[in-house]
Amino acid sequence: MGKLLLATIAVILAPVIGGLVAGLDRKCTAWLQSRVGPPILQPFYDVFKLLGKSPMMMNPWQILTVWVYLVSSMLTVFLFFLGSDLLLMFFVLTIGAVFFVMGALSTQSPYAQVGAQRELVTMLTYEPLIILVFVSIAMVTGSFKVSEVFTYGKPLLYQLPLMFVVLGYALTIKLRKSPFDISACHHAHQEIVRGVLTEYSGPQLALIEIAHWYDVVFVLGLCALFWATSFWGCAILLVVTYFAELVIDNVTARMTYKWMLKTVWGWGLALSVLNLLWLYAG
Amino acid sequence: MDILVFTTVVLPFLAAIALLLLRDKGSRSLVVVGAAVVLAAASLALVGQGSFEYSPKSLLGISLDGLIMLLDFALLIVILIMAVTKLKSTLVAALTAAQVVGLVYLEFFMGHGPAIAAPAMFADKLSLIMVLVISIVGSLICVYALGYMPEHEEHLHLAKSKQPRFFFFLVAFLGAMNGLVLANNLLWLYFFWEVTTFCSFMLIAHDGDETSVKNATRALWMNMTGGVAFVFALIFMQKSGVGLYLSELLKPGFSAAGAAAVIPLFMLCYAGITKSAQVPFQSWLTGAMVAPTPVSALLHSSTMVKAGVYLVLRLSPAYSGTMLSGMLAMFGAFTFLTTSALAVGQSNAKKVLAYSTIANLGLIIACAGINTPAAITAAIVIIIFHAVSKALMFLCVGTIEQKIHSRDLEDMRGLYMTMPKTTIVALIGVVTMLLPPFGVLLGKWMAIESAAAVKYMPVTIMLALGSGLTVMFWARWAGILLSTPYPKDVPAEPQPSTVRAPLVLLAYGAVLLSLFVPFLYGGLIEPAVRSSHKAAGYIMDSLNFVSAQGIFYIYPLFLVLGVGFYLAWKAARKVNPAECVGPYLCGAQATDDNKAFVSTGRANVGYQAGNFYLSWIFGEDRLSGPINMVSGVLLAVMLGLLLGGVI
Amino acid sequence: MLKDWINKGRLKSPWIVHFDCGSCNGCDIEVLACLTPIYDVERFGIINIGDPKHADVLLVTGTVNHRNKHVLKNIYDQMPSPKAVIAMGACGLSGGVFREAYNVVGGVDKVIPVDVYVRGCPPKPEAIIDGVVHALGKVKAALEAAG
Repeated sequence: MGKLLLATIAVILAPVIGGLVAGLDRKCTAWLQSRVGPPILQPFYDVFKLLGKSPMMMNPWQILTVWVYLVSSMLTVFLFFLGSDLLLMFFVLTIGAVFFVMGALSTQSPYAQVGAQRELVTMLTYEPLIILVFVSIAMVTGSFKVSEVFTYGKPLLYQLPLMFVVLGYALTIKLRKSPFDISACHHAHQEIVRGVLTEYSGPQLALIEIAHWYDVVFVLGLCALFWATSFWGCAILLVVTYFAELVIDNVTARMTYKWMLKTVWGWGLALSVLNLLWLYAG
Repeated sequence: MDILVFTTVVLPFLAAIALLLLRDKGSRSLVVVGAAVVLAAASLALVGQGSFEYSPKSLLGISLDGLIMLLDFALLIVILIMAVTKLKSTLVAALTAAQVVGLVYLEFFMGHGPAIAAPAMFADKLSLIMVLVISIVGSLICVYALGYMPEHEEHLHLAKSKQPRFFFFLVAFLGAMNGLVLANNLLWLYFFWEVTTFCSFMLIAHDGDETSVKNATRALWMNMTGGVAFVFALIFMQKSGVGLYLSELLKPGFSAAGAAAVIPLFMLCYAGITKSAQVPFQSWLTGAMVAPTPVSALLHSSTMVKAGVYLVLRLSPAYSGTMLSGMLAMFGAFTFLTTSALAVGQSNAKKVLAYSTIANLGLIIACAGINTPAAITAAIVIIIFHAVSKALMFLCVGTIEQKIHSRDLEDMRGLYMTMPKTTIVALIGVVTMLLPPFGVLLGKWMAIESAAAVKYMPVTIMLALGSGLTVMFWARWAGILLSTPYPKDVPAEPQPSTVRAPLVLLAYGAVLLSLFVPFLYGGLIEPAVRSSHKAAGYIMDSLNFVSAQGIFYIYPLFLVLGVGFYLAWKAARKVNPAECVGPYLCGAQATDDNKAFVSTGRANVGYQAGNFYLSWIFGEDRLSGPINMVSGVLLAVMLGLLLGGVI
Repeated sequence: MLKDWINKGRLKSPWIVHFDCGSCNGCDIEVLACLTPIYDVERFGIINIGDPKHADVLLVTGTVNHRNKHVLKNIYDQMPSPKAVIAMGACGLSGGVFREAYNVVGGVDKVIPVDVYVRGCPPKPEAIIDGVVHALGKVKAALEAAG
C-alpha cells in the first residue's frame, strides 16, 4: 500500500521535477554560453501556452498517439517508483516511443517522415544499451526489480562503472542532446525543421513535452540507481552526470545518424562486454 | 480417444483426397469449412482429455508400422523420380537416395534390438498445445484460402484451375503436422516430417513458374539435408541400442552416456534447424514467399517451421546440461539477431515477415538452449502467440497485395484510405507482435530475463540488440499504414466472408489470448514445462507472472493501458475536420494538392519520403554472406566438438 | 486557474517563426543578433522555432512580391491561433525602396493582418525586442477584453 502511494505521488510530482530539470537545463546552458537565460519556470510557461493554443493537426491518429505516449510514460514512472521490474518498464516505455513515431509517420509531411525515421534509428541505438544496463544490474543484484537495488547495500557504481557510461550514452540520446539531437533539435535552423515534432502542434506538443519530462525523470531515476545507498551520493551523482550532459551538449555539434549508430553501438557494446566480463571473472 | 486421434491425424488426409476428387467450388467450400470445424472441435476435445499414450496397431487390418514404412519409401521414391525427371537436380536426388539407402540399411540390415514396450503415439501438454495451434490457426488459414485462391488464379489466367491440388496439399499438411507432434515412434515422426517437407515443396512450386520451382527446389534440398541427418540419427541410435522412440531419448540420465548420446540429439536438432530455416538455411524460407499467401501463413510461419523448434524443444530435457545446450542457445540468439537485422533492410513486406519469423524461431531455439524452466516457458509462450499474430500478419499482407498489387512497404502508405478494416487488423497484428501487454512480448521478456539469470552473456547481448532491431521494422510499418490526411469519405471495404472471418477471428484471438494468458499458463503451459523440466518457471501471484528475477503484470497493465487507449481513442474521435490542415511544406505547398510543392512555372512537384532501410549495414547483399559463413562455422564447430568427444 | 496559467504562458513564451520575403538580409542579421548573448532574447522566453505550427509570432522581413505572397499567406494560415504578426524594416512596412517595382505588392499588411510595425532600415535589435513586447501587450489587451 505504501508503495502504491509513493508511486502515485511520484506520477503526480514527476512532471514538476521534469519541468524544473528542463528549466535548470536551459539556465545552465545559457550560463555556459555567457547568457542570462530564461527563468527557471520557463518550460512550464511554454507548456501552458501550448495547451492554450487552438488545436491543429493533420489527422486524428496524431491525437491518439500522443495520448498513448503520455500514458505509457506515466505508467513507466509509476512502475519505477513501485520498485517493479526494470525490463517490464523498458517495454512499457517502448509503447510510448513506438506510438510517438507512428504519429509522426502518419502525417504526410516529408520533414516529420524523415524525423520519424531518424527517431527510429535513435531508438534502435539506445534500446539495446538500456537492456544491457538492466541485465548488468540484474547480474549484480540477482534481480531485475528496482526494489532489490535498494536492499543490495553497496553502490552499483563500484561494480558497473562502465555500464554507467553506457547509460550516459542512452541518457544523452533520450535527452536529445548534441551530438545525438538528430531527430528533433531544440533549435531552429536545421534541415528537417523540427524533425519528428514538425507536425505536432499546440496541445499535442504540450502533451509530448510532458511525456518527455516523465521520460527524463525515469532515465535520471535509472542513473540514481547507481548510487542508491545514500541520498547525498545519489544527488551528487545526478548533478555531476547532468552537468556533464550539458557540457557535452555545448561542445559538440549534431552528427549524422550513421555516425551515431556506429559509434554508440561500438562503444556501448565494447564497454558492456568489458564490464560484464569483469563482473563474470570477479 | 482413438477417434479423436483419428480425426486430428487421418481425417485431414481423407478430406484432402475428397478435395482432389471434387472439383466444383461449392463442395470444396463445404469440405474445407467442415473439416476446419471438425478439426478445431476435435483438437479442443483432445486437450480436454489431457495427456495420453496410445498405440494403434493396425488400420483396416494392415500393421501400421509396416504401412508407414511402405509410405515412407513410396514418398522418397516419388521425390527421387521428381528430382531426376522434372527438377534435374542432382543434389536433391543424391540427398533423397542417401535417405533411401539409410532407411533400407536401418530396416533390413541392422539387427533389431529387443522390442521396447513404448507407445507409438503420446501426447503431453506440449504436443497438445501444438495440436491446438495447428488445428485452429491452420483451419482458419485454410478457410481464408477459399476466398484467396480464386482471386489469385484470376491473376494467373489459368486454363484449368489448380485449386484441387492446392487444397489437397494444404489440408493433408494439417494431418501430417498433427501426426508429427503426436508421434512417439521416431520412424513415424520421420515419415510425417518428410510429408511436411514434401507438402512445402509442392506448395511453393504451386504456381509453376521458374522462380517458384527454383525456390521450391532450394527449400527441398535444404530440408532434405535435415532428413539425411534424421536418418543418420536413427541409425546411430539403433547402433547404440537405444530404442527408436522419443520417450527413450527423454529418459533421465540419457545424456550421461556422453557424446554417443549427444550425437543423435545434435542430428535431430540439426534437422529441426533446417526445418525452422535457421541461418544459414534462411534463404529457403525467404524464397518460399513466392508461394500463395495461405501457404506462407500456414506452413512458413505458424505451423510447419514450428515443427523444427518443436523437436528442439521436445529434446531439451535430453541435452540439458550438455555443451550442445549452450551451443544451441548461442546459435538461436545469433539467428535472432542476424535475421532481425536483415528484416530491417527489407522493403518487401513478405520478406520482412519471413525474416521476423526466422528471428522468432531463433529466439525459441535460444530459449530451448538456455534450458531452464523459465526459458522453456518463454519458448512455448512465443510458439503460441507468434503463430496467431504472424498468421494474421501474413493474411493481411496477402489481402493487401491482392488489392494494391504490391507487397512493398512503400506502397502501403496511407492504406487506411483504401482498406480501413484490413489496416486496423494489420495494426492489431503489429501491436500484438511488438508491445506489452501482449503475449509475444511476454515471451520476449521471459527470454531475456532467463538468459540473464543463467549469466549467459553473449546470448543476452544478442537478444538485446535483436530486440532493438525488431522495434525498428515493426514500428515503421505501423506508422506508414496510417499515413493519411483527415480520413473522410473512406470507402467501405467489401471482402468475401471467407477472407474477412479468419482475419477478424485471428485479430480477436491475438488480443483475447493475451488477455487470458494467466489461465492458458495454468492450464497448459505450466504443466508442459513441469512434465519436461520437473519445475515451473513462474509462479502466479494474483495472475501476474513472478519469477526469482522479476515480475510481469498482466491485468494491471491491461487495465491501465486499456483505459489509456480508450481515452486516447475518444480524444481522437473528437477531432473536428476543420482543424486538420495540410503538412508544413515551407509555405510553398500547392493549393489544390496537399502532397506537392509549387515549383517554377506554377507546376506542382510532388515529394516523397521513404523509410530508412539502412542497407549500407543491414542489406541482404551486405549481410547474407558473412552470416552464412559464421553460422556455418558455428554448426561445424558444434559437430566437431561433439565428434571430438566421441573420437 | 488553468486559464490564468495559460494566459501567463502566452505572455512569457512567445515563439517566433521568422519569414524572409526577399529582404537584403540586413533585418535578418539584426534578428539573429537578438539571439546572441549580447541581447539574449531567451530571457523573455523568446525562441526562434522555425516551424509555423509551433509559433506564436510571425516575424516578416523584406519586400512582399507576387511570387511569395502565397507563401506568406500559407505560413500565416498554418499558425494555430492566438498569433501575432510583426512586420519589420522599411520593406516589410511598405515595400521600401522597391515599392514601385513591377512585381512588388507593397507592405506585409497587404496580404495578412499585421499587429506591430517595427521601422528602420534595418531596425536595431532593441527595436525588434520592443516590437515583440508590444505585440505581447496587444495579446494581453485582447485577452483582458475577452475576459
